[in-house]
Amino acid sequence: MSLAALEAKIEKEVTAYNQLQKEYSKIVSGRQTLESQLKENELVQTEFELLDDEATIYKMIGPVLVKQEQAEAKTNVKKRLDFIRSEINRAEKQIKDLDVKLEKKKIELMSLQTEFQKRKEAASA
Amino acid sequence: MSKSAQPQQQSIDLTTLPLPQLQAVRQQLDEEITHLTSSYTQLKQAQAKFSACIEALGAVTPDHQDRAILVPLTNSLYVPGKLNNTERVIVDVGTGYYVDKKVEDAKAFYKRKVEFLQGNLDTLQQTIIAKQNNMRVLVEVLQYKMMLARKEAAEQQATQAGSATGTVSA
Repeated sequence: MSLAALEAKIEKEVTAYNQLQKEYSKIVSGRQTLESQLKENELVQTEFELLDDEATIYKMIGPVLVKQEQAEAKTNVKKRLDFIRSEINRAEKQIKDLDVKLEKKKIELMSLQTEFQKRKEAASA
Repeated sequence: MSKSAQPQQQSIDLTTLPLPQLQAVRQQLDEEITHLTSSYTQLKQAQAKFSACIEALGAVTPDHQDRAILVPLTNSLYVPGKLNNTERVIVDVGTGYYVDKKVEDAKAFYKRKVEFLQGNLDTLQQTIIAKQNNMRVLVEVLQYKMMLARKEAAEQQATQAGSATGTVSA
């Protein structure tokens, strides 16, 4: 491989690496949003547990409050919690995968760069 | 609260780290502290809001029944109204759910919220104090190292200058 071709390859790898990093931070911030949603829903759930049986629950739909059965509201929140938890698991897995990918790319890049340096020195010598 | 697991790993001997790395650690610590303190103020504000709710509920009493009030539609627009139920209020419990509660229960609800936030505030404050302590130690080590480096540079210069004058006088 010529020196120029090697340089082009390094450049390509660097952009690929940056792309991966962008994806990584996107998923991490998504993970944080999920965490706060989880916390909020958990708080609502504990609140529902404290209600007496005849308490009325309303759900905000657009600008209006619609009356909702307690049992229905409770199962809704439970379903949402299950969904959020599975989403968190998915995000965690993605983060782990990306971690491995990033590490691999980094090593690849470093070896390419040392090779490039070596070749350049050899050429100038 | 994901940061609370960290203090344990902070057991590296700072004096063994080179200057640039120390500076990097310092920057990271700085960022952490600003992030934590801003979270702290946000929590404090949320707590103040809940406290304000408790206070507002204090005005919803049976002797205010049928009193004329001004209902805020926006920050600056009000319409006249009448308080026709001083027994029950509707409370926002989060994620779009609202619950019809007795005034006393609503107060208890907000009190719970305030206490919950207070717990978080306390742990957060401890973390901030620990980080600030770390920062202080770090800055001390950093200054010491910098002083050493300066002294070394000065000594080197002195010996160089000494040998230079030496050759001139010889």
